[in-house]
Amino acid sequence: MIKTNMYALIVSATVGSLCLATPALAQVDAEEVFKENDCHKCHHATKAKKGPSLAKIAAKYKDKKLDEKEAMKHMTGGKKVKLDDGTEEDHKIIDTKDVAVQTAVAKWMLNR
Amino acid sequence: MKKRALMIGISLSAIAAGCASVATGPQAINWDKVPATKVALFYPGQSSYQWLRSEAHAGAAKETARGDACTSCHDDPKEEQRQGAKILSGKHPLEPHAAAIKGKNGHIDMTVQAAYDDKNAYLRFQYKTHNPNHPGNDYPGYRFDGKEWKAFGGMRLNKNVLAGKTATVYENRVNIMLDDGKVPGFAQQGCWLTCHDGERDMQKEPTKDQVEANALMKAIKKSDVRKFIPGTRTNPMDWSTGKPLEEIAKMKANGEFLELMQWRAHRSDKVGGADDGFVLEYRNFDAGKNHFNSNMDSKTKLPKFMFDQAKAGTKAYTAGDYGKKEMILIKGANAVPFDPNAGWKEGDILPQYILSAEDAAGSAADNKALSEWKNGVQTVVFIRPLGLANADDKALKPGGVYNVGFAVHDDNMTGRGHHVSYTKTLGIGAKADITAVKLN
Repeated sequence: MIKTNMYALIVSATVGSLCLATPALAQVDAEEVFKENDCHKCHHATKAKKGPSLAKIAAKYKDKKLDEKEAMKHMTGGKKVKLDDGTEEDHKIIDTKDVAVQTAVAKWMLNR
Repeated sequence: MKKRALMIGISLSAIAAGCASVATGPQAINWDKVPATKVALFYPGQSSYQWLRSEAHAGAAKETARGDACTSCHDDPKEEQRQGAKILSGKHPLEPHAAAIKGKNGHIDMTVQAAYDDKNAYLRFQYKTHNPNHPGNDYPGYRFDGKEWKAFGGMRLNKNVLAGKTATVYENRVNIMLDDGKVPGFAQQGCWLTCHDGERDMQKEPTKDQVEANALMKAIKKSDVRKFIPGTRTNPMDWSTGKPLEEIAKMKANGEFLELMQWRAHRSDKVGGADDGFVLEYRNFDAGKNHFNSNMDSKTKLPKFMFDQAKAGTKAYTAGDYGKKEMILIKGANAVPFDPNAGWKEGDILPQYILSAEDAAGSAADNKALSEWKNGVQTVVFIRPLGLANADDKALKPGGVYNVGFAVHDDNMTGRGHHVSYTKTLGIGAKADITAVKLN
């Protein structure tokens, strides 16, 4: 009985400390934010749509040693992007100013 | 109870009379053995042909205009769920009346099954009605105000309903729009090809006078704008630029139109029908006579029929009966000719339509349907004869693959207030999104 109680105590202490230590970042459903912002309409996980696939973006970032900060600039800057047909368009700006959320989305994208 | 039994009796006998193969047809089908396809439908608001080609359709105007498929971007498994919720969120420009219809479901999950035999194709649909306690078979009526019989009730987006001037009443519907490959763009953009600014409850709705002054509308004797395919206009972005009737007739002769089949909870269900129409320059009914007809005499401005007191237990209903009693008028069953001297009281209500399976005739009467609403789930089986040769029909043939779009009007809605699917394919014994299996 004592053993069980001790075990329960250790588990609850561990869970408690995990909860306290969990950053806001982990609470963000990055994929949902990505899709709620309609990013998926242009960026598919693996195939090219209007924009490059997430796999291609991740590979490019890895190759150029860029991180999520660069991706966040891209999703918040509204800069012109060049499309396959040669035309240019303003890149959509993510509908959140919460840096933690932006970071989560950028990390999620680059981990595809 | 007696009345309900009578209605069921009418339904079954009407179906049996109208569809020779029914005994071995849909009622004998073991649907558990027919593959089921899940199709999601979502609330589109005012997403017209024109809106989709505007900058408001962010990042997709050019792609839509060049004919890209909706699903080339909208391809997420939860797309319909997401889009419907957004449009009804109250923050989206596509639904200006979101507050008035708060609580409306943004999407519907529907199960679709298909089968065929030597005579017919059978298309079965199942979905949960938003109201779990009512089959949605009420319809606006004519109310006696002490002097005249005036239209009463309307769908949820109706101007008078929104203004609180009349009751919220409308029938549920299940619709199929079908293309055999002859309407450019339907395979890619489906029903959205037919939904335009200027149509009822859409943006830029013209006045009745404006419509009646338009050359095409005058020629086809219409006073509102309804679904049309882009090819019937010289400028598809503008409903008012109708082509000459001769050109439209050529399009029809070439098969450049869409089949539109509609099961209606009030106007066709009890007589075992589903109406047969087509979309070309307007949302037309096929030639012949429908399962339902107006119950208003345009000359006398009086109803044509009333309930048979002996069979229905009343000669009319009142507004308080909506949602509680089945107010469906059926010729030869519970209807008798209207008697203006029957002692009408203010508030008496008679249905706007009189139903008859026997009167339905010609191409308009091709389709039959069976249905059941139980525990909040609506089931509808369309029965469509194969190989129809009428000029206003698309012939379904074994081996054929067709582009289809589905719509459900649920919870007192008509017009644009429906849920719509992206385009799917239907194969009659051929591989498709929905494959109709051959019955033994």
